[in-house]
Parts: sequence; C-alpha cells; structure tokens
Amino acid sequence: MKINLRLKIGVTLLAIFLLGSLILPFFTDVNPTAQGTYFKSLPMSWKHPLGTNSLGQDIFWVIVFAVRNSLLLGVSVSLIVNLISITLGLTAGYSGGWVDRLIMTLCDSFITIPTLPILIILASLIKGSASFLTIGLILVAFGWAWGARTTRSMALSLREREFIHMARFSGMGHFEVIFKEIFPYVYTYGIVGFINTILYAINTEASLAVIGLSNLSVPTLGSALYWALNYNALFTKQYTWILSPVIATVLLFLGLFLTSTGYNDLFAARRGRS
Amino acid sequence: MIRINNLVATYTTVRGTVTAVDQVNIEIPEGITLGIAGESGCGKTTLLKVLYGDVGFPLAIRGGAVEYGMVGDQNEEITTQNIQKYWFRRIAYIPQGSMSSLNPVVRIRSQFLDYLRTGGEQKRKLEEAREYVKSLGLPPEVLDAYPHQLSGGMRQRVMVAMASFLNPDIILADEPTTALDVVVQKGILLLLMDLQEKMKSTILFVSHDMGVHYQIAHKMFIMYAAKGLEYGNSEEVFSHPLHPYTRLLIDSLPAIGDTNLRRGVSGHPPSLWDTLVGCRFADRCPYATNECRTHEPILREVRPGHFAACHFSERFL
Repeated sequence: MKINLRLKIGVTLLAIFLLGSLILPFFTDVNPTAQGTYFKSLPMSWKHPLGTNSLGQDIFWVIVFAVRNSLLLGVSVSLIVNLISITLGLTAGYSGGWVDRLIMTLCDSFITIPTLPILIILASLIKGSASFLTIGLILVAFGWAWGARTTRSMALSLREREFIHMARFSGMGHFEVIFKEIFPYVYTYGIVGFINTILYAINTEASLAVIGLSNLSVPTLGSALYWALNYNALFTKQYTWILSPVIATVLLFLGLFLTSTGYNDLFAARRGRS
Repeated sequence: MIRINNLVATYTTVRGTVTAVDQVNIEIPEGITLGIAGESGCGKTTLLKVLYGDVGFPLAIRGGAVEYGMVGDQNEEITTQNIQKYWFRRIAYIPQGSMSSLNPVVRIRSQFLDYLRTGGEQKRKLEEAREYVKSLGLPPEVLDAYPHQLSGGMRQRVMVAMASFLNPDIILADEPTTALDVVVQKGILLLLMDLQEKMKSTILFVSHDMGVHYQIAHKMFIMYAAKGLEYGNSEEVFSHPLHPYTRLLIDSLPAIGDTNLRRGVSGHPPSLWDTLVGCRFADRCPYATNECRTHEPILREVRPGHFAACHFSERFL
C-alpha cells in the first residue's frame, strides 16, 4: 500500500518533535526556568544555538522543554477527552431513551457555551494558583462534548444494523455490544479525533498562556511566547526568542494536521481498495 | 414439547396498540421441524421474537404464555422471562439477512467466540469451532476471514454453525434462505435437515415460501392476520388442507410440467388496526358465508392431530 506524502511529512515532523523533546532533556542538567543561568541576550553561538534571552535562559533549552510540556499536556488531555467522549457517545447512541437524552443535553450545553471566554474567566479566577493539572482538567471539561456528539451519531446508526441484533441475541451484555461490536467501527475515527484533540489542547493552552492566564512558571509553547512578548523581544530585536516558539508551534501543528489528514486518506484508500 | 398457550402479543405505537399475535394456541412436539408460513405482517416474526424471549418495549405479552418444557441450570422452569440466560446454549437464532448479520469489521473467529461466550478457554474452543465448521462443509479458514471475504451462502453457513455449535434444544430460523439463490438455498436447507437429524433439536422455521416448507417441515403452522389458521403434519396439510387459505396458498405453487397459469390469493389481509369481527380471511375466501363474517372460528381439531380454524373444514375432508 502506498503511504501518501502528507502522512510521511506529518509523521516525520512529529517524530522529530517527539524524540527531540523527550530524549534531549536527558543530555542536560539545565533548569530551563531558572533565571540568570547565563549572561543575558547573547547572540546565537555553538554554546547557545538560539542565543539567550533577557532572563538569562538558554532559548534552545526553553523551547525543548516547552515542546515536551505542550506535547505531554496535549496527549494526556486528548487521551482523557477521547476516553470520555467515545464512552459517553457510544453509550448514549446505543442505549437511547432517557440515557441518550440526559447525556446529549449535557453535551449540547457544553457545545453551545463559547469555550474561550469561559476559559478566560475560569483561568483568571484561579490565576496564579492554577497548576498544570488544573489547566488540563479545564481543557478536558470543555473538550469532550463535540467528540461525544459525533460518536453518538455513529452508534445511533449502527444500533439498528442486523449484526448488532445478532450480537444481542447471542446473549452479549449491553456494554459488551458497545465495546466489542460498535467500537471497532468507531476507532479509526477515534484516532483522527485523538490527533485533533491534541491540537485543540496545545492551541487552547497556548492562547491562555499568551494572555498570561496559564501557569507561566512551566515552560510551554504558550508561556515561552508570553515571556518573549512580555519583554518586548520584538523591539529589542531578539528575534530568536520570539520566533522560536512561533515556528515550533507552527511546525508541530503542521505535523499533527498532516498526520491526521494523511491517516484519513490512507484509511480511505485501504477501504476503497479491498 | 413446547406449548404455546393462548399467546397474545401486542406492539405499542403512537396510534395505540396493535395485536400482532392473537391467541395462538399450539403444542409443538420435541425434535421436529415446524414450518411457520403466512404472508408479510401476519405475526410470524413476532411469534418467533416472543419464543426467543426478546420481549421489550414496544413488544409486550398481553396474555397467555409459552411453556418450553425445559429446565434450566438451577432446575428452574425456563420461561420467556429467564430464557435470555440460555440464549445460544438452549435456544438459538438464525437471522434473515446473512449479508448483514456479521459485524463487517470483526473477524469471524472473534465473533464466533464472542457469541459463544467461551471465556478463558478460547484456544481449545477455537480448535473445536474449526473442526465443527469443517464438518459443516466449510473450509476452516473462513474463521480467519472478514465477513465481506465470504459469499452469501458461506456467511449463512457460518450463522448456522454459530447457532448450532452449542447444540441448543430449540433453533429459531427466521427466513434463513430468503436472500440466497435456489442452489445455495437448497444447500442450507439440507444442512439444517442434517443437523436436526443429528442433534434432535426442535427447529422453528419461518418462511413465506411454501416450496421451502414442503422440503423441510415435519409439521406446518399457517398464520394469517395474527391468528393461527391451520396446524398439522406437513403431508396432511399439503395433501388435504383443511382451511381455504392454505388451499389457495398451495394452489399457487408451481409444479414441474404444469403449464397452467398460477392463481394468487386476491385481495389483501385486513388491517390489524381495525376491530376485526368474524373470520379474518372471510373477505378473501371463496366459500365465505354470513356466519363467517359474524362468528370467529377457533382453531379446533378437525382430524386427529390436524387443526384448522374454519367453520366449514369438514367440507374439505
């Protein structure tokens, strides 16, 4: 089977980011958040590939740790979000009746609430004391609804298929039918949803960080950008400081996006061929 | 012996309740193939659903009961309420559409094992399943395939294999040959007859094809508009039908070498929404009298072992 170019580029980008951010930290004892470790505002050199910033931090290492933290946040939020949305969606769609109505009312309320304004309010309420975990939980709370709705619609149509009746007639329990018969149908969609949720989580955390509402003591792509903006890196011509988180974010997004659409294409091609 | 006592089953709809099985009252001896015939909407499938114990909204039992004459694991009487525990072990079901009855994204072997709820001893069961599938004339490799890689006949054989693997006492088959061509159909019928001879299960075989019934059924039960019209041994029902509806059904069967034009039964069955008075077949019956339109005939034993619900059955003796 031919693997399309999108998937190749996407996976390569992701692999670089993943391996780089997960392995590189083992080769340094630099604390990226400590200030004044080096001289301030050094230009690019062999010792400091991207120079240092006005806080006396090595920009390269800040980015490495930022990418790692953003990815960790994205992946763990996405895992939980997909677990919740697939479980709730399948349960609602297959069970129907009041279970369906209850879950979907909840789901629709979360969909109709505009996320970012609420996040801004929430984050400013817990500003300063917001731990990384809290940010993650908030992202989960606002991220599950859409996936649950789409999964439910799939379960709804699958429920009436003959083989689901057959599975039930064989004596399979309610949740057995859901996870053994309906889930295999939904899981390819789930993988794409998983990647998209990583995007959502990184994106939203970065938006919050840029306006100073995330946990700024932890380096993430968003907080790196926040500090650069805060110290007017653009006006002091420290371009590596402000551009490195921007470029890293764009490349990471591109990698995730290409992987997601590329996988979709690959799966569609496989389905079409057999 | 399965005893169906005055069974009344209804569907609840927005328009009200509709009675899909109305006071059906028959006794089915063990170890035979019972053919259930009748046109669409006469209650055949509903009767099977009730027998299978798949009773839940909107379907409800409003009267009567089914006695299966079987005792369960704890020596309790098996009834419509607890038969779900014995699904596929004591009572199995072969569905209508072989095309859509297997999950297209799951391999046959996992479906086989899942359906049979084998639990821990997967490996041994899988070997047994392979042997069994082979004995039914299928290559054992079908277990490793996805449903779309098999032909319609093979898929239906897989369904038959699943339904009969645990050697159930009762097998319900809801038009199992409908979507198949006649050659494959014949193969499936022979397979079912074979299995029945070996396992001595009771097979309840629903079809609207009288030709299929003629080949497979020991006893026939004819349904019309939620009622049972005729019940008896196949040979008698086919050679001396005691109900005009059965006569007309059999008259519509073609025979080899017969060049006469076949006549169908004209008209339509009555709507079950209406209040039905008298014999439900009266409007289409060539022998109907005023008595038929006002008095409902009950299913009575006209000849030993041969029941019919017609005021004038004696005429056909």
